[in-house]
Amino acid sequence: MPEEQTLITAKEPEKKPMAEPEKKPAAKQPKERVRADRTDELYKNIPEGDTLMKIDHLRVVYKTDESETVAVDDFTLDVKKGELISIVGPSGCGKTTILRCIAGLLQPTSGKITIGDKECAGPGSDRGMVFQDFALFPWRTVRQNVEFGMEIAGVPKEERTERAMRYIRAVGLEKFADSRIHELSGGMKQRVGIARALVMHPAVILMDEPFGALDAQTRNIMQEQLTKIIQHSARTIIFVTHSVDEALFLSDRVVVLTKRPSTIYKVIDVPWKRPRDRASPEFTALRKQILNYLEVQNVMEG
Amino acid sequence: MKFRYDKHNKYHRFGRTCVITAISLVVLLWVWWILSIVVQKGLDFNNSPLASPQDTFAALADLIKNGDPMEHRSLSSWVWSSLFKFLKGFVLALAVALPFGLLMGSFKTAKEFLSPWIEILRPIAPIAWAPIFVIMFQATNGSVMVVFVGIFFPLLTNIIFGVEKIDKTLVDAAKTLGASNGQIFLKVLVPSTIPYLMNGIKIGLGIGWMCIVAAELYNTTLSGIGYYVKFMIDNSSYDYAFAGIILIAVLGLLTTGVAEYLSKRISKRMGMDV
Ligand SMILES: Nc1ncnc2c1ncn2[C@@H]1O[C@H](COP(=O)(O)OP(=O)(O)OP(=O)(O)O)[C@@H](O)[C@H]1O
Ligand SMILES: [Mg+2]
Repeated sequence: MPEEQTLITAKEPEKKPMAEPEKKPAAKQPKERVRADRTDELYKNIPEGDTLMKIDHLRVVYKTDESETVAVDDFTLDVKKGELISIVGPSGCGKTTILRCIAGLLQPTSGKITIGDKECAGPGSDRGMVFQDFALFPWRTVRQNVEFGMEIAGVPKEERTERAMRYIRAVGLEKFADSRIHELSGGMKQRVGIARALVMHPAVILMDEPFGALDAQTRNIMQEQLTKIIQHSARTIIFVTHSVDEALFLSDRVVVLTKRPSTIYKVIDVPWKRPRDRASPEFTALRKQILNYLEVQNVMEG
Repeated sequence: MKFRYDKHNKYHRFGRTCVITAISLVVLLWVWWILSIVVQKGLDFNNSPLASPQDTFAALADLIKNGDPMEHRSLSSWVWSSLFKFLKGFVLALAVALPFGLLMGSFKTAKEFLSPWIEILRPIAPIAWAPIFVIMFQATNGSVMVVFVGIFFPLLTNIIFGVEKIDKTLVDAAKTLGASNGQIFLKVLVPSTIPYLMNGIKIGLGIGWMCIVAAELYNTTLSGIGYYVKFMIDNSSYDYAFAGIILIAVLGLLTTGVAEYLSKRISKRMGMDV
C-alpha cells in the first residue's frame, strides 16, 4: 500500500526541544515518572547501531510464602539503536518478567537497566509497551486510545489528533478511528496497541508476544505490516515471542534463552534484508538451528 | 389467516411478553378481588382493611382529581415531598460513598481499618434507625438520613468492588505511557469504576425507595407518600390508603427502571459488562 508508506515516511513536524528530564547522578533514582512525548530525540546523538540500552546482570527472584522462584538470573544484553531484537525461549522461562523489568513495571531483585547514560527506575514513557492482551481502554475510541500518551504528555489537542490519525492510517484503521474497542477484531485491536506505542516515539518499544493471541493468518499480516513500519521509520524494539519463525522474519538479532532461571543461551545475528522469504533455504536452516537450541533446553530440563 | 409464533422475530417476542404480562396483571387483580371479599366476609368487617380493587381505583381517581379526603392536599404535594427527601438522601449517600469507596478500594490499610465499622453497621436494617433519626434530625431530615443509610452501603460495596476489579494491565499500560498516579486515578481508575457505581446506584435506589416510605411512617408532619398511607389508615380510609400503596409501587418501578436503563447504557458506553 503506497499510501500507507508515504504516511509513515512523511516527516513529522519539528517540535521545540522539550524539557530534558533532569540529569541526576546515575546512582540516584529519578522520582518523577518520565511522561514526555518523543523521548527518542533525547538520544539522537547516539548513532544507529550503537548501544542504546544496557541491561546489566538482571536477576529476578519471585518470593511467595512457601517458595522462592529464580525467574531470571544474570541476564545481560546490549540493545542497539534502531534494531529489532527478539527474545525466544521455552514457555515459562521468564520472558515476560524480563520485559516487565525493562518497562519498569517490576523491580528487579538486582541488576541495572540504562538507556543512554540514564538509569531506568520505574515505568515511563521512554519505554513504550505493546501487550499480548492489548490492554486498550474500553471506554475510549480507537483515536482516543492512540491519543492517551500524548494527552498525558500535554501535547496540544490539534497536534494530538493529527498525529493519532496519521498512525491510525498507518495501521490501516482510518475507517475505525471513532469505533469503540469492543467493535474491533483481535488483529485490529493489536494494531491500535501498536499505534498507541509508536505515536509516542519512545526510546525503546517493548512487545510481549503482541501477536500471540491472533490466528496464523492475521499474525502473518501483522508481521508484514510491522516490517513495513520499521523499514520506514527506524525504531528500537525488543520483541518477545514463542515463534522462532516470527523472530526470524522480523528481527535483526534473536536471543535464545535457557530454561528457568533464564539467562542468555545464544544470540544469533539475522543479516538478511527485509522483507524476508520464509521458504528460502537459509531461513529454514537457521530456524532449524534455533529450534535445536530450544530442544536442547527442554532435554536439559528432563 | 393463521398466526404463527416465531421466536426469532423480536416483535413476536415482544408481543408475547406483553400478552403474558397483561394476563398476569389481570390475574393479580382477580386474586386481590377474591382476597378482599374473603377478608371482608370471612373476618366479618364492615370496613375491611383490605380494600377491594374497584374501591381502590375509585379512591385513586378521586385522589388524583381532588386530593386526599381529609386535608384536601393535592396528590403531587404528597408525592413530591417524598421524592425530594429521597433525592437528598441519595445525593448525600453518593457524596460520602464515592470518596470512601475509592479510598477503601485503592488502599488496603484504609479498607482494613474501616471494614469493621462497615461490617458492624451494614446488617442493621436502615429503618431501625428511623425513630432515633427522627428525634435527632426532625421528621424531614430524619427520613433523609434513613434513605442515606439504605443507599450508602450498596453504593460503597459496589464502588470498592469496582476499584478492586480494575484491570491491572490497563494500569500498566497507562504507566508505560507515562501517566502519574493522579492521572491513572482520573483517567483509568474512575472510568473503569463507573459501571460498578451504576450497579450500586441501581440497587441503592430500590432500597432507598423502600426506606423513604418506611421512614415516613414515623413522621409526625403531614408530608410524604408514606405518611399519607399511615394518615389514611389512622382514619380508616383503607381504599385511599391502598391507592397510596399502588402509587408507591408505580414510583418504585419507575425509579429502578430508569436506573436499570441508565446503568445498561453507561456500561455499554464504557465498553464493559458488569
Ligand atoms: N507474580 C509472580 N509470582 C511468582 N512467580 C511468578 C510470578 N510471575 C511469574 N512467575 C514465575 O516466573 C517464571 C517466569 O514467568 P514469565 O511469565 O516471565 O515467563 P514467560 O517466559 O513469559 O512465559 P510464557 O512463555 O508462558 O509467556 C514462571 O515460572 C512463573 O511461574
Ligand atoms: Mg509471557
